[in-house]
Amino acid sequence: MARPLWSGSLSFGLVNVPVQLFSGVRDQALHFRQLHEKDGSPIETRRFCSKEDEEVSFDQVGHGYETDKGKPVVLTDEELSTAAPRKTRTIDIEAFVDLTDVDPIYFDHPYFLLPQGDAEGTRRAYRLLVEVLEQSDRAALGRFVMRTKEYLVAVRVRDGLLSLTTMRFHDEVRPTKDIPGGGRKPAKERLEHAVALIEAMSEDWDPSRYEDRYRKRLLDVINRKKKGRKITVPEDEDEPTPVPDLMKALEESLAQAKGGGRKPKAEDDLDDLSRDELYERAQEADIEGRANMSKGELADALADR
Amino acid sequence: MSVGLVHVPVKLFTATDSKTISFREVHLEDGAPIEHRRFCEKEGKEVPYEDVVRGFEVKKGQYVALEKDEMKAAAGGTGHLIEVEHFVPVDEIDPVYYDKGYYLGAQDKAKDGYRVLHDALEQTGRAAIGRFTFHNREYVAAIRPYDGVLALHTLHFADEVVDGGDLDYTKPRKGAGDREVKMAGKLVESLHEEFDPKRYKDEYRKAVLKVIEQKAAGKEIEPPEDEETEEPDDILAALEASLDGGGR
Repeated sequence: MARPLWSGSLSFGLVNVPVQLFSGVRDQALHFRQLHEKDGSPIETRRFCSKEDEEVSFDQVGHGYETDKGKPVVLTDEELSTAAPRKTRTIDIEAFVDLTDVDPIYFDHPYFLLPQGDAEGTRRAYRLLVEVLEQSDRAALGRFVMRTKEYLVAVRVRDGLLSLTTMRFHDEVRPTKDIPGGGRKPAKERLEHAVALIEAMSEDWDPSRYEDRYRKRLLDVINRKKKGRKITVPEDEDEPTPVPDLMKALEESLAQAKGGGRKPKAEDDLDDLSRDELYERAQEADIEGRANMSKGELADALADR
Repeated sequence: MSVGLVHVPVKLFTATDSKTISFREVHLEDGAPIEHRRFCEKEGKEVPYEDVVRGFEVKKGQYVALEKDEMKAAAGGTGHLIEVEHFVPVDEIDPVYYDKGYYLGAQDKAKDGYRVLHDALEQTGRAAIGRFTFHNREYVAAIRPYDGVLALHTLHFADEVVDGGDLDYTKPRKGAGDREVKMAGKLVESLHEEFDPKRYKDEYRKAVLKVIEQKAAGKEIEPPEDEETEEPDDILAALEASLDGGGR
């Protein structure tokens, strides 16, 4: 199992539960490193003083804070670390709130908390907190310090375990009043049509049905490049224009959704499909070189089979 | 944003704005900004940015190099379109799937369509799930009503989310007793309050600003001491003591 990112104790009232913190998500992205084009050799970055034009070793680097009046304030690592809060091994629960009141827009990074060590007392206290939070549909709010920074966190139950999420502070979530929202209150009939369209296109939430097509395509591009094939870059498409008659568009979409969704299109209508749809079919058909094909080329390749 | 044949022109805004105090690297000796310069590991010479490509390691020390343009070949649809595939009950999406948060705003010419979509999502309790390409990569996103506007969350893929079952968790041999559950429930009630995000301030941000002020005023900065925590093992006694003390 992965190594814990942090260990300490979860404290609520006078109850302390020794816990360990694990990440709730894992990085699946493809990572690249910078190379020198000419010789394919890796690039390393070196730090230079912009004034002296000379290389600076890492221990000679400080933290500069720009102020309005010219010269930045410079802090050393030690000076900056004095701002780190004193309690470093405790998640202090301050309050319990209704889970439904905490909008996920405040959630930042997800983690799991697990009981630490094999003491029966720790495991029981952990289980007790899981049960109480689950039964009451509450989240615990608290603070804790990880790598010198203090976080506000919400602790709730996921998969029968305590899940901890770091939270954004109130002033870090932009107010919606600056966002251009909707116009007039919709006419009843329009709203009904939109609701009907949503209902017709509704399904259960199943995260496993979405695959990272970007990751897949990127791997495809890498493999093609490895074999020495040419990679062509697709050109930008134009932004679509809005349908002038919203009501008509709603009605037609609804008819389409009720008629079994947008999927069943005749094979000979390849030209009507988007590049993504064509690409998916090309993937199913295992058409070679599909990552570099334009919409038209994909349609042709599919039609030729 | 397209739903079936309906197109609603929208604009994307970031929903969050980190207020963490950021520093730039400076040379301690003279306070001058540090520059990061690229050097070829083999030649030991500086390399201009135009001559840098992205390398994917296929075997140890063996890279496939991609030009910046070639990365774009993987981007996905380039039509500035959020294509809604279907709708799901918003309550079924565990927030662990939400990655970055954005707001969708209405474009001037399409405010009515935006409002219809917003109101219909609210009435049905649904979120729209769709794909879109942003900064040269394709995302799956959930769009839901939030505070009078539409919020868009890019989503983690299922293989990025750690399942509780993947972790090494051992249940206690004996579950919590009735008295413990009852008392813990009471303690939760006694500390229960309405969620008000404004109540929580970023104390660390304040502390960092204070250190900066002290330093700017030429004051000495003292390091703090660490604190030890105690670990009582009698849950029942700890719960009782917590309740006696009014919770905290």
